[in-house]
Amino acid sequence: MNNIFMVIDATVKGNFNQLTRHRMPGAMPFGAKFRLIDFTLSNCKNSGIRNVAIFPYGNYRSLSDHIGSGDRWDLSRRKDGIFILQPKNLNLKSEDSISFQRMYEHIEYFIRSSQEYVIVTPANIVWNIDYIEVLKNHCQQKADLTEVLSQDGERLKTFLLSKDRLLNYLRNYDDLQFRNLTDVFDYSPSIKKNTYVFESACYLIDSTKALFEADMALLSMDIRHQLFHPMHPIYSKETMSSPSRYGEEAFIKNSIVASGAVIDGTVYNSLIGRKAVIKAGAIVKNSVIMNQCIIEPGAQVDYAILDKETLVKANAIVNGTADDLFVSEKKQIVIGDEYLRVLQIAVECDPFVKTGGLADVVGALAENYSRLGVNSDVMIPLYPRIKEKYGILLEMRAEQIITYGGIRYKAALYSYQNRNTTYLFIESYDFFDRPEIYGYADDGDRFAFFSKACLAFIDVFEDKPNVIHIHDWHTGLIPLLVKQDPLTSNIATLMTIHNIDYQGVYSADIIKKVGIVDYPVFNLTINFMEIGLNTATKISTVSQTYHDELRYEYYSRNLVELINRRDRDFYGILNGLSEEINPMHDLAIKQPYDSSNVFEAKKINKQYLQKVMEIKEGQEYFLIGMVTRIVEQKGFDILIPAIDEFMSHPHAEFVLLGTGEERYMEALKTIERKYPDRMRLNFGYESTNPYYIYSGADVFLMPSRFEPCGTGQMIALKYGTIPIVRQTGGLNDTVDQYDLVTKKGNGFKFYNYDPRDLGFQLNNALHLYEQNEHHWQTIIKNAMASQFSLENSAKAYVELYRMMIESMKR
Amino acid sequence: MKRSIIAMILVGGRGTRLKEITKDTAKPAVSFGAKYRLIDFTLSNLTYSNIDIVGLITQYEPYELMNYIGNGGSWDLDTIDGGISFLTPFSKAGEVQWQKGTAHAIKQYFSFIRQYQADHVLILSGDHIYKMDYQKLIDHHIAHQSSLTIATVKIDLKEADRFGILTFDENTMITNFEEKPKVPKSNNASMGIYVFKTDVLEALLTVSESEEIIDFGKNIIPKAIASKIPVYAYPFEGYWRDVGTYESLHQANMDMLDDPDFLMLNVSKGIQIYSKSMNLPPHIVLEDGIIKKSVIADGSIIDGTVIHSTVGYQSVVMKNARIENCVLLPNVFISENVILKNVIVNKNMIIPANYCCTPDQVTVLDVTNLMEVGVIDE
Repeated sequence: MNNIFMVIDATVKGNFNQLTRHRMPGAMPFGAKFRLIDFTLSNCKNSGIRNVAIFPYGNYRSLSDHIGSGDRWDLSRRKDGIFILQPKNLNLKSEDSISFQRMYEHIEYFIRSSQEYVIVTPANIVWNIDYIEVLKNHCQQKADLTEVLSQDGERLKTFLLSKDRLLNYLRNYDDLQFRNLTDVFDYSPSIKKNTYVFESACYLIDSTKALFEADMALLSMDIRHQLFHPMHPIYSKETMSSPSRYGEEAFIKNSIVASGAVIDGTVYNSLIGRKAVIKAGAIVKNSVIMNQCIIEPGAQVDYAILDKETLVKANAIVNGTADDLFVSEKKQIVIGDEYLRVLQIAVECDPFVKTGGLADVVGALAENYSRLGVNSDVMIPLYPRIKEKYGILLEMRAEQIITYGGIRYKAALYSYQNRNTTYLFIESYDFFDRPEIYGYADDGDRFAFFSKACLAFIDVFEDKPNVIHIHDWHTGLIPLLVKQDPLTSNIATLMTIHNIDYQGVYSADIIKKVGIVDYPVFNLTINFMEIGLNTATKISTVSQTYHDELRYEYYSRNLVELINRRDRDFYGILNGLSEEINPMHDLAIKQPYDSSNVFEAKKINKQYLQKVMEIKEGQEYFLIGMVTRIVEQKGFDILIPAIDEFMSHPHAEFVLLGTGEERYMEALKTIERKYPDRMRLNFGYESTNPYYIYSGADVFLMPSRFEPCGTGQMIALKYGTIPIVRQTGGLNDTVDQYDLVTKKGNGFKFYNYDPRDLGFQLNNALHLYEQNEHHWQTIIKNAMASQFSLENSAKAYVELYRMMIESMKR
Repeated sequence: MKRSIIAMILVGGRGTRLKEITKDTAKPAVSFGAKYRLIDFTLSNLTYSNIDIVGLITQYEPYELMNYIGNGGSWDLDTIDGGISFLTPFSKAGEVQWQKGTAHAIKQYFSFIRQYQADHVLILSGDHIYKMDYQKLIDHHIAHQSSLTIATVKIDLKEADRFGILTFDENTMITNFEEKPKVPKSNNASMGIYVFKTDVLEALLTVSESEEIIDFGKNIIPKAIASKIPVYAYPFEGYWRDVGTYESLHQANMDMLDDPDFLMLNVSKGIQIYSKSMNLPPHIVLEDGIIKKSVIADGSIIDGTVIHSTVGYQSVVMKNARIENCVLLPNVFISENVILKNVIVNKNMIIPANYCCTPDQVTVLDVTNLMEVGVIDE
């Protein structure tokens, strides 16, 4: 028995694609038969630690099922033992590591624990460590806080400190500037810090890629010896699978096979989980096959992670690459190249008509489907501006009379072919022959009519689509209309939420007008988005973090219960950024550049921006840029007080381009008047090219209250302008906090929607800019190397479409 | 605590026909099918049948078996008011009470049965490979208001002289019983699995000084049939093998290899065969490993050729070694260039490089006979 207790941080969600939909990272299968948390728990047992608390986030059923009473790790004790301390405040989201606030919720546990020292360590780390050695080192060095690093200097988010010190942080968490122990280690000036380097194999597994690499590392004898030691074994839950069985046609090399697996096919360089079946004639290479997967005859799997119970049908080809792994979802059925034709229906689509990000996404997806060889169609209304521009290129395909609300309207269908994509336009004199796209009193009728017309014209197709992908509320009635008509009811529908704040609430008469008979209406109004989310086969949104946030009422408001009910069918797929956005090919900016000449070019562009904006010129100024709509969502409630304070720094400069609500613009003007030579507001989108700011500013600010995906931060990163963002939605998924120790990360983020936290990161960035050019240049390099490929988003959607087609058959 | 039924598992004799395999192990602790021990089957059947009071009567080398079973948690038998009790020989009034046979052993521990006031006693063997829902047997027993029900299985007539052979009528009432007959009257063999009404069992065991009670097959069953109490058969269908000899142990392993659905071990419906986890990493196949028609347990490393064999946990097969029709018991090290065929390699053996042993008849390979049955080819 010793003097340490253990806090296992299972609050971190990491970046695991579909793998964490049904489980948290700690419960992730690893090494064919283990779960990640087995390593930490076994290390506890082997180090004699008997008091262990696990702090999980959200869905910990799989984890608690695996741990049970903890008896497999000798943690089912009369005194101490294992405790799963659930989140009390369900509005606390997953962070990069466990916060003091989260621990404070269970402060009683810390007070009651009798041990003098505590280790805080993540649940998703694979190693075989003796924690007593860390304690010895901590005491020898008379340290206040010891952090454990890997032999490559990677930070393992593992800390040792005295219980009293931790309690002190917990009790004062609300007044501290530090959210967690990493913050304390990085920024606390007054304590003795110590690092302990763990000189053996270890893997912090926080992404699909890291999981794959660690799994593959097990194929090395040397790594296995470092992780599995007869004197301190790794314990796991007992299961009852029979021993692995090989058939007559089995052919296997350099692979790990867990019990219960049945191998009758070819397996190279792979890990095969419990009870997985590789049938004769199947080929599996360079892959991680989890429990109970079935690979049918003739199927080929290369560079893939197949989650539990994935079925790869006969002759299906699953081909990932080392950089772009194929990742299946639990119980997914992977079919061969079966028929897929997707029809996107939206009310805008780039390049034909565009008011915002929605048009970019629809247009970019269509283009990338074409590149991937997927047949796709896009349907949008024919607005006059499209007719003007594309008039002669449009081919008239069909005309129909559409009855809407008892009245017969004429509608026509035009098409425009571009590679694999057919763009279809629906013309209606009554509904779309108007100068604007939105903003009419009868928008509800207009888009309901549009939805009905789209399906009425579906007969025109020689090859009918088997997937309809709709975007935002305008087309929300389509899933219901599709279901109702026997001609279309076998088509799967996907609804993507771009912003849940716009839901389309209109008179309930529309239901009757559009010809829906058996939909119960209880109110005077209907909600287009609600109907769509209720009836679509699957639903999705534009980033993983926004997907997670929508589970909370703070973000999804009136639709929170609906979103939670449909959680099993709800996906987050990050939008990409067009490859065309590139500072090297941007002819508008003063000095085009890429990563080879960025440092010189940025100086020139910065000076140019300062000149255009008529603020003080010079590299000593720290120039903050913003390109934004000036609305509440974009974080102006915290931005205004934070900027007001920050501008008092003599080297701070601030430029903003955008327009919006009067009250914020007034407040900003007041600050501008205080600092006329260092701050410039440019209200109105047309006045200056936003790319001057993307190329000339030092940092790009997006303190949004919420941000489903966001493109500004991605453009800024491509331009080597460092984003300072709030950890929300797509901002959280694209920006990684820069870490001074590992030199990884491409920006700065803060968590609380609070001016002080924004100010803290502004000062942090300024400090780095002024004091350490080397670090600053590293961040710029990291930023420009960030990848937001549209092709990856398109692939993820195609994968989802295929799953939907399969689920329609069941 | 009263129970309607309790189970008694008999381990039986020394197991000499398993040769060196049982030199320091009780028969039920012998490994089978790479990762199992024989006792796994009986214990797993009990769990599935919801019988949680189990007395295990053992006297030879009980240590490894007791250590393996522990508190029975691996089979979910660690219930608060039930579980497994080890009934080992004890000394009474200064004299060690060695068990003379199966029935004698039950008689010695009758007080164990009595304390649970069970209506019926299920008598089992610890060295059979099969899946059986005992509850169905008990239902049959109760439905026929039987005093004694004997589970039976159809066997090959050639083997009849190893078994007790029964005949029964269309109502399954037993009309004749012969222990190990030279000329069998039927091919229905007793499986050595019995359900007794407790009071009937007690009466059958209570005998005068002169009469000797040693075995169920030899003494109790004939006596019961002779005394005209209702004795019924429960015909069992399915795979069943009594592993009494090393030949039958080898054959059972080969049976497992030849039937991909052997005992439905990999199906998570119905009876699950549990075994105790050894906390080992999964097995690994290296560059030169070739495996066909075989089963491999955790912790093994295969870099040689394994054909139609079972490989126990933590075994190593090195490069250019070739194993065919073999049973490797756990923790065996097969060095480079070894050739083995038709052998059972005893646990913890190290087979030296270039060793060759390919007998026509199944042979047990042990440290005591390594150089007698095979040679090292230089």
